[in-house]
Amino acid sequence: MSAKHEEEEGKKIKVQIREKDLLCINGCGFYGTPQWENRCSKCWRAHQIVLKRSQDFAKNRTLLSFDQFQERRKSTTEGRTLSIKKIFKSQTLLPSSSDASPTSNSPNTTPTRSRDISPDSKAARENLTDFLIRELPTSIVQEITRQVKYAVNKIKELRVNPDDMSELVQGFYQYLNDKLNSSAFFAQEACKITIQEVMDEVEKYICTCCYSYLFCASSDEEVADVSLQDRIRSLHWVTAGFLETKLDFKKQAVRDKLDEAIAELIEINAKKSTSEKLEHLVKSSNLIFRALSESSASNSADEFLPVMIFALLRGNPPLIQSNVKFISRFSTPNRVMSGETAYFFTHLSCALQFVQEMNHESLRMEKTEFEAYTSGQLAPPLSAINCACNQAIFTIEGALDSVTALKNEQTSLLSKIQQLERRVETEVASLTTDFSTKMSILPSKKYLDLRAEILREEQMTQDLIASFSRQSSDSGISSGTLENRAE
Amino acid sequence: MSIIEDVKHDYKFKVVLLGEGAVGKSSLVMRYVKNKFTSRHLSTIQASFQTQKIQIDDDEVELNIWDTAGQEKYHALGPIYYRGSNGVLLIFDVTDQRSFEKVKMWVRELRATLGNSAVLMIVGNKIDMENERTVSRETAEEYAKTENAFYSETSAKENIGISTAFETLTEKMIEHNKENARNAPPIANRSIQLIDENERNSSIRTKKAKCC
Repeated sequence: MSAKHEEEEGKKIKVQIREKDLLCINGCGFYGTPQWENRCSKCWRAHQIVLKRSQDFAKNRTLLSFDQFQERRKSTTEGRTLSIKKIFKSQTLLPSSSDASPTSNSPNTTPTRSRDISPDSKAARENLTDFLIRELPTSIVQEITRQVKYAVNKIKELRVNPDDMSELVQGFYQYLNDKLNSSAFFAQEACKITIQEVMDEVEKYICTCCYSYLFCASSDEEVADVSLQDRIRSLHWVTAGFLETKLDFKKQAVRDKLDEAIAELIEINAKKSTSEKLEHLVKSSNLIFRALSESSASNSADEFLPVMIFALLRGNPPLIQSNVKFISRFSTPNRVMSGETAYFFTHLSCALQFVQEMNHESLRMEKTEFEAYTSGQLAPPLSAINCACNQAIFTIEGALDSVTALKNEQTSLLSKIQQLERRVETEVASLTTDFSTKMSILPSKKYLDLRAEILREEQMTQDLIASFSRQSSDSGISSGTLENRAE
Repeated sequence: MSIIEDVKHDYKFKVVLLGEGAVGKSSLVMRYVKNKFTSRHLSTIQASFQTQKIQIDDDEVELNIWDTAGQEKYHALGPIYYRGSNGVLLIFDVTDQRSFEKVKMWVRELRATLGNSAVLMIVGNKIDMENERTVSRETAEEYAKTENAFYSETSAKENIGISTAFETLTEKMIEHNKENARNAPPIANRSIQLIDENERNSSIRTKKAKCC
C-alpha cells in the first residue's frame, strides 16, 4: 500500500528530480522520502530499530562499564576526603526528605514495618544474632548490633546513587573492621574467631536486609541489563566453535557439566547475599573445569575463559550485570580482591566485558558477516567445528546411535533365537536316531533273552504242530478212534 | 587494598601471569606449586588459580597466582586481570621472538595502567630448547633493565629456575611493599555517614572502662 502511494507521489514530482534520487538509499527498489532520510517506509522502520538498539547498547556500556566502576572503587580508598564533602552535602539535603517523609508516610507506618521483616531478612537477622552471641562477648555484640542497625536504617533512608551508596557501605565495613581491630578481644591468643568472619556475617546481613535498596537500584541499570540480555540473545549464533573452546560436545558428561555450570550461573540471581552469589559462581567455575577435564583439555585460563563466555552466552543469566555490580559494590573487599572467589569473579567480569564488546574483530570475521549473523539475515555456515557444538544435532545423533544399537541387538537376539530353534530341532532329531540306533545296536539282555525265548517257543509250537499234524495224517483212524473213545 | 598485613608481617600478594598462549604459563605454575607440595593434596582441580605459601626470612607470604587467557582476542581484558596485583610475571618463549614482542607490549600497557605499583618480572621460558633459541639472554636482560623490571630464565620441563624466579619476585614485592608503606600518607580518620556518630564516643568510653 505504502509503496504504491510513494510511487504515485514520485510520479508527480518526476519532472524536477531524476528518478534515481527518489529511490530509497538502501537500494531496495522502493521510493524514499526526505523526512525518512531518503529511505522507504520499511527501511526507515528497520533503521530506527537498529538505531534504538545501538543507543541502548551504548548507554549500557557507559553506564555499567566495569572500568569506571573499578576506578570508583579505587577512589573509595584514596579520595576519601572528597567523598566526605559530598556526603555532608547530601546530609544537609537529608533532613528535608526525612522531615517530609514522616508526614507522608505516617499513615503507612504499620504496613511498612511489617513489610520490612521479610522471611529472608528475618532469617538473616536471626543468623547474625546467633552468630554474634555464640562467638563474641556481650559488649562487642552490643556495639556491632547498634552499628549495623544504624547502618541498615541509614541505607533505607538515604536516596543516593548506587556508587555513592557503595562508597558508604565500604566505608562502613572499613570503619567496623578498624574498630574490631582495635578491640582487645581479637588480639587474644585464645580467640578462635577472626575479624574477617565477623565482617562476613555483617556483610551477609546488610546485603540480605537491604537487598531491595542496594540491588539494581537505578532503573537505568535495569534497562542496561535488559539491553545486554537482548544483545546476548542476538548473539545466539556464536557457538563454542567461534570461541575456540576445546570442549568435547560428543561426550554426554561434558554436556551435563556445562548445563550444570549454566544452571549455577543463573542461580546467582536467586541469592541475596554476595557470599552466596559468589558461592554459586565458584561452583559454576569448578563445573566448567570439570567439563574441561572431561574433554581432556588443559585446565589453564586459556581454555577456561572461552568456556565461561560460552556459558554466559548460552545461559543468558538474568540481571547478570547488576549482580556483578552488586557484588563488587557491596561485598567486603577481601572477597573480591583476593583468593579463589576473586579470581573467578574477575573471570566473570572479563567474560561480561568480552560479550559487551564482542564484534567482528574479536571473532575474526568480516564486519558484514558479523552483522548479518547478528541480525539473523544469515545463518552461520555449518562447518565441522560449529556443528560440533550444536547440542541438538548431538542429541539426535546420540538417539540415533542408541536406536541403531537397539536394532542390532534385536537382530542378534532374533538370530540367536533361530539358532536355538535349529539346535533344538537337530538335537531332537539326533536324539531320536541315536535312540533307535542305540536300541538296534545295543538291545538289552532281557530283550534278547525274551526274543530268544519267543523264538524258541515259536519253534517249539511249530514243531509241535508239525508233529501233531503228521501224527494225525498218519493215523487218521486211530485218532478217530481215539476221539471216539474219548467221547 | 589487597595487601592484608598485620603485626607478624604476613603478606598476601596477587601475582598475575601474562604471556601469549602456549608460552608455558600454566606449566610454570604447575611445576612451581605441585613440585613443592608433592605430598599435599591440592583441593583445587584447576591450574589457573593457585595459592602458595612461602617463607622469606621471617615473613610468611601467601602468593595468589593468577593465570590469564593469553589469546590475542582476549588482550583487551588484560586490565581487569592485573588490576590490584602486586607482582606480574611476564612470560615469553625464548624460541619465539613474537612472544617477546608481546611481552614488550604488555610492559608498556602495565606501566600505563598500574604505574609503579606492581613489581614486574620478565621470564624467558623453555631454555631447555637452547639450540632453537631466538631471543638471547643479553637482549632480554637489557630490555628488562631499561623497563626497571627483573629478568629470569626458566624451564618448566626441566624445572630450572622456577622457584628462584618466584622467590626473587616475592622478595622484591616485600621490599616494594615496605617502601610504599613508608611513603604512604597516614590514613585519614574516616567519618562516614553510616556510622552511628552520636553514640560512638560514649561506647568507646564504656568499653574502655570494662576492659581495663
